[in-house]
Amino acid sequence: MKEKLDDIFNEFQSAISELKEQADVLAAKANFLGKKGKISEIMKSIGSMSPEEKKTIGPLVNETKNKMLNLLQDKLNQIEVDNINLKLEKERIDITLLDNIKSEGPAHGGYHPRTIIQREIEDVFLSMGFEVLDGPHVEDEFHNFEALNIPADHPARDMQDTFWFHHPQSDEEKKYLLRTHTSTIQIRGMLERKPPFRFIAPGTVFRCERTDASHEMVFNQLEGMMVGKDVSVAHLIYFMKTLLKEIFKKYVKVRLRPGFFPFVEPGFELDIGCLICNGKGCSVCKKTGWVELLPCGMVHPNVLKAGNIDPDEWSGFAFGLGLDRLVMMRYGIDDIRHFNNGDLRFYEQFQSF
Amino acid sequence: MLISLDWIKDFVDIKNDVDTKELESLFTLGVAEVEKTEVVGDHLSKIKIAEVVEKEKHPEADKLNLVTFHIGDNKNLKVVCGAPNVKIGMKTAYAPLGVTLPNGLTLEPKKIRGVLSEGMLCSEEELGFSEESEGIIELPSDAPLGMSALEYYKLKKDLIFDIDNKSLTHRPDLWGHLGMAREFALLVNNPLKNPYDQAWLDKSKKDYQDSNNAPITLKVEKDSSCLGYFGISLNNVTVGESPEWLKNRLIAVGLRPINNIVDISNYVMCELGHPLHIFDQDLIEGGKLHIKKLSANEKFITLDEKERELISGDTVICDRNKPLVLAGIMGGLNSGVTEKTKNIFIEVANWQAKEVRLTSTRLGLRSDSSSRYEKSLDSMQMLRTLYRTIELVKELSPEASVIGEIQYDGPELKYDPLLINISTSKINRILGTNLEAKKITSILEALEFHVEEKDGALKVSVPSFRATKDIECDADLIEEVGRVIGYDNIEPVGPALDIRPVELSNRANLCKDIREFLVMNGNANEVMTYPMVGDKLLEKCQLENNSLNLINSLSKDHDKMRNSLIPGMLESAALNCKNFSIFKSFELGRVYLPEEKNFVNERLQLCISFYHQNESTYLTLVNTVNRLFDYINISSQPILKHPKFKNEITDENWMGMHPFEFHNFRVMGKIKGYATTLHPLMARKFKIKGNLSFAIIDLEDFADKSRMAKVKYKPLPKFPGSNFDYTVSVARSMNVSDILDKLKKVKIKEITSHSIVDVFEEKEKEIKHVTLRTSFLDRGATLSGDFLKSSEQTIIAELNKSGIELKQA
Repeated sequence: MKEKLDDIFNEFQSAISELKEQADVLAAKANFLGKKGKISEIMKSIGSMSPEEKKTIGPLVNETKNKMLNLLQDKLNQIEVDNINLKLEKERIDITLLDNIKSEGPAHGGYHPRTIIQREIEDVFLSMGFEVLDGPHVEDEFHNFEALNIPADHPARDMQDTFWFHHPQSDEEKKYLLRTHTSTIQIRGMLERKPPFRFIAPGTVFRCERTDASHEMVFNQLEGMMVGKDVSVAHLIYFMKTLLKEIFKKYVKVRLRPGFFPFVEPGFELDIGCLICNGKGCSVCKKTGWVELLPCGMVHPNVLKAGNIDPDEWSGFAFGLGLDRLVMMRYGIDDIRHFNNGDLRFYEQFQSF
Repeated sequence: MLISLDWIKDFVDIKNDVDTKELESLFTLGVAEVEKTEVVGDHLSKIKIAEVVEKEKHPEADKLNLVTFHIGDNKNLKVVCGAPNVKIGMKTAYAPLGVTLPNGLTLEPKKIRGVLSEGMLCSEEELGFSEESEGIIELPSDAPLGMSALEYYKLKKDLIFDIDNKSLTHRPDLWGHLGMAREFALLVNNPLKNPYDQAWLDKSKKDYQDSNNAPITLKVEKDSSCLGYFGISLNNVTVGESPEWLKNRLIAVGLRPINNIVDISNYVMCELGHPLHIFDQDLIEGGKLHIKKLSANEKFITLDEKERELISGDTVICDRNKPLVLAGIMGGLNSGVTEKTKNIFIEVANWQAKEVRLTSTRLGLRSDSSSRYEKSLDSMQMLRTLYRTIELVKELSPEASVIGEIQYDGPELKYDPLLINISTSKINRILGTNLEAKKITSILEALEFHVEEKDGALKVSVPSFRATKDIECDADLIEEVGRVIGYDNIEPVGPALDIRPVELSNRANLCKDIREFLVMNGNANEVMTYPMVGDKLLEKCQLENNSLNLINSLSKDHDKMRNSLIPGMLESAALNCKNFSIFKSFELGRVYLPEEKNFVNERLQLCISFYHQNESTYLTLVNTVNRLFDYINISSQPILKHPKFKNEITDENWMGMHPFEFHNFRVMGKIKGYATTLHPLMARKFKIKGNLSFAIIDLEDFADKSRMAKVKYKPLPKFPGSNFDYTVSVARSMNVSDILDKLKKVKIKEITSHSIVDVFEEKEKEIKHVTLRTSFLDRGATLSGDFLKSSEQTIIAELNKSGIELKQA
């Protein structure tokens, strides 16, 4: 009997081994394990056997039956996997056809490089408790000049190449102009709050200046101001060095030299060691090894007064960062005119966030 | 401005072997920016006097000679020389290898047509003595062989500082060498030697006395720009070439020697910083100078032989008949010193800075004189300048004699010293330093401030030459101390601050959110375009041209403030569609609308543009704008054109608008933006081929509002809802929103939404099949089959009322 069972098993095994379709496998199952199947026939014959035989044959039949069922399940599983794989094979896509190799334009968006750097600086100053302000582009003489200690006959007005809406000598009561610096926001900021306070003010400024690779008539600055009791030059240097360390993520050589700006006293120019040539001298730093980056100084008492602040009680510092120049330094951009020309070939390069 | 270190050494001891780089750095860090320095005469110290001993033709070149010479040491040297005047026995100048000539050429060993040349025999031009010359220089036969050219010409090596004029605008005292020397003295820690002290002034006063009648007298009108006018006549002057030392000094600071008298006026100006003018006395008619404002416009020829248009109100110095000098700016050709001049009249005057500046700016004439006067010069320096000029005239032309008394007219000259009180503690507090009173006092005294100090309280008296504009208050004194100790020597310290929450303003946050959404979710690139536009572009766009005009723009293309972001966007799109077949971009910027009351209304606007060469981008754009409004928590509805809703943002009939693809965005009941596709006719004008859709949103009215997310949580339903899907067939021109509008009339409270599942168009039949889904939910109970059935019938019946039928099976 055992031989017979082994034969049935072998026969079943070879019968299903070549099968590919689920239906054929199930047919084979019926043949062997169904009601009229070969195993059932043997099961039926057990009834007529002696108790002795029943004892030995019964488990043997069950064992064979289970072996066949296992085999069957394996086969069915196999066929299902094969079918899915076949389907996947048929639906296969070219996984290398990614957007970044398609000819159809920028695959994803990006910020203007000025936005990227401006946000970095804002984050540095926000983290140190500075507010972020802005003000109008069209300004009057009071905010752009007078309040900043630049009276009508001051030679500094010559240095400011101003775009005017009214002739400076005209009889208009209020003569409007495009702000030449973000320092106007010093005045607006002071008049709107009481000391102590600290804020920065990034913004667009305008100069009546012929454009070339390093000069623009529309560019961006970032003003900063802090007023409090005993605010000192030492504090100013601290904030400037912190800013530069955060922006360039490395130690940057710095020097402070006297500089003349009517709205600060003492006034300085902050130079950084040229990052293009590492101070050896190149065309960017005009062979000096230093790049002028940041005019700054202690707020002139007259400016504090214009902002309704008593200079005997309060002191403060202010600085004006050439934002666009910093952006150019960071990315090695050689032509400032790209900033405003709307050409996506320029902007699409700034896609890493 | 150019400053000669050799000249500075007249007034302060500076070691010859001083490290020039360090001196330059000290000056930049302590006084003003040195743009560059230049060593002069270095080449002359290496160039030697040589004698030609042999000359033969170059074997390879007709015009070249092989010249053998020596410099007195019996060692023959050979160069290739092209000069036609080389002859045996002549003495000339030899520049050995390694020398850098003033024209920038550095001599290196070089073969000329196969023959090695050991340096160069030089022409006057190559030595830097003249601008052009023929042949090599020929020296007298007694010129000592081997002597350096520097020694032979009795010249000195010099270091020239080129100082940035802009950094000197507030320092009238630094526009002469004596003033500069005061700064150098402090930097190198040596005393200033001022030869023009009180004793010198007293001696001069005695020396230049004369009892004759003054040939030229003065009259200064009070309303002129004159702050004081000194004059003196000298007769029997010999006009001629200046001595070498004088010429060399002028050349060193970039001035061209002319004749001894003119050179003296330039020399004294560069030495003492105060300009002066010397007339030919015999060309002054009527014996009297009248300093006044012109009463009528007049033409005037200045010394540089150019005709200038003077206007009424310009201050001039006139004789009986005519203007002779344009005050503070330049003398006239009619009265200048020439070779024929015998008698002179010296003017030392002071003028109001503003008047000089306005006139020189108007005429476009900036002279060495005007650039000094416009800094506000010190009237107290005039007499010193006059004496020094007389001293030099007498030195160079000893037979000259002063005729008559020194003349003066103008306001009384006196200086009540400006007193400033300050404390050492304030200086230290502002600088963040810990300086002692003694140190502060010594710094200020070295700068010729007079200081009285008691227990840290300083009473500082400002010298007249610093008081005209420069030093006004205690902050100015703090700067003097700070720059001398060196700002780099101040230790950076973080301040002790109170802690307060800080966050971006609502406006800044809005901009940040918009940028973030459009870059990350809209896949758009941020661009920026010029805020100024011009007529040409505006006309091309056919947009209303009510903009603010600049009066001094640099070009017609940028003379108006934009009142819309569209022109810049179209220009940018026209450029970008040449390079990209798809792009999405946005600009966040201001527009400037003219306004009666406040002159301008600056509004923050957003322009989003989506371009695709072949496909429509309109729906993607509007969907993006809808999601943007959701993201920034501004509730907005896209609505179709309707005469009921007034559009204040734009002219809906602008020819750039698409006839069908147009939405307005309504925020808080008002239209705050719109989206459209560029009309093909406008696209053609800009050569934009393809589909450009854009949206403009005016953010100004909600930019400063706080935007809180208005999410309201509802508990999850306990009973299941049900969906009813059905398909209707309508004309292709019907909007799906019309169908949804009809469905709004169905009032069944269990309906939660109607939405579109699918749209299938049959273009040839001009119809479309729209599959809709109506969702039901009863939060309190399970929906019954009967209820659903009757509701479905109500829906279909409502649609049928409007002629909308279910799709035929």
